Amino acid sequence: MRLFCIFAYALGEPIIHTRKPMLDVIVMDKTIYIRMRNRTEVDPKTSVTVKDIAQIICDEGMRTKLESLNVHKVTSKDKNIIVIDVMKVIRLISNVFPGADVQAIGPPQTIIEVIFKKRAMSFALFIMTWILLFIGAALTVMNFHEDVSMQSVQEKLFTMITGKRVEKPLLFQIPYSIGLGLGMVLFFNHVFKKRLNEEPSPLEVEMFNYQQSLDQYVAMHQNKESVKHLDDN
Amino acid sequence: MTIKILFVIISGFGGGLAVGAGFVAFLTVLGLIPRLTQLTKTKKLIHWYEWAVIFGAIAGTAGGLNFPVFYFPSFFAIPIGLASGMFVGMLAAALTEVLNVLPILAKRVYVEDRIIALLMAIVFGKVFGSLFQWVYFVDYR
Repeated sequence: MRLFCIFAYALGEPIIHTRKPMLDVIVMDKTIYIRMRNRTEVDPKTSVTVKDIAQIICDEGMRTKLESLNVHKVTSKDKNIIVIDVMKVIRLISNVFPGADVQAIGPPQTIIEVIFKKRAMSFALFIMTWILLFIGAALTVMNFHEDVSMQSVQEKLFTMITGKRVEKPLLFQIPYSIGLGLGMVLFFNHVFKKRLNEEPSPLEVEMFNYQQSLDQYVAMHQNKESVKHLDDN
Repeated sequence: MTIKILFVIISGFGGGLAVGAGFVAFLTVLGLIPRLTQLTKTKKLIHWYEWAVIFGAIAGTAGGLNFPVFYFPSFFAIPIGLASGMFVGMLAAALTEVLNVLPILAKRVYVEDRIIALLMAIVFGKVFGSLFQWVYFVDYR
């Protein structure tokens, strides 16, 4: 057969045509791609729509209707965290658009945080925390120095360098103390951030990890569908 | 006699092996050297940093055992003091306690946007505590 085709082409008469469309009907593509956002913040007493909690790719014809679908109405009964599973959204969409092919991509749920009131940061609390950390850090470093006999090590080191025997080698110890702070700042790289590079600092990574763990916990525990117990039906 | 000497050599070697491995493991857990290469953009030279740590450890051991005295002028103590302080400061910063406490604390007191200020409290606290200890505290024993 193939041989025949080649032969026919060689004759200059293509046998296999691409079939011409008989009717120019615009077939509505019913595929909807939906990707849940990781987190979203809403005001209390609002309706959460699909647009708030997900990114959507779909046919332009149904976009506005789809995006304005109500997923959840925030009431005073809700606490400040609501978890919406992607299954709920898909169920909703297939009710409104029967026969639509909904493709879920990405995270399986969205965590909605209801912002009741911008919590005014208490300045006194902040100052107290600051002082707590300050005194705690001072105490721990002193305990550390006592624990490892830093004083006698520094005395010996000073004698080793200069040949002099002194009780308080301040010429060594004061630069040491300044270096202590400098090393910490350098490790967290907050001061020279713009100049050195744009990679996140270990603290920012740790903040992210903590938030990630919190979100994961909430997603598992607030979402009733994700865990099934014996006594549930 | 030979057996005694051999036993001493083997036990000394074994002790050194364990301590050296522990030291390197500690540094690895803290991730200090990767962080330094990240800051200075010298990831390719990381083997040289490994050797720096090894030679530093050997020099420290040799210095502690033999106690050589160099008779340098006194200001030589300043850069050495600064460098040792920076190293200890980085160790203190890398300890996971600090890294784990800060995010939780910042969330609890709702100061996520001022976490740098909290960090600075720890930094100043360390500097103050250290200075206080060397200048005043050591006299009251």
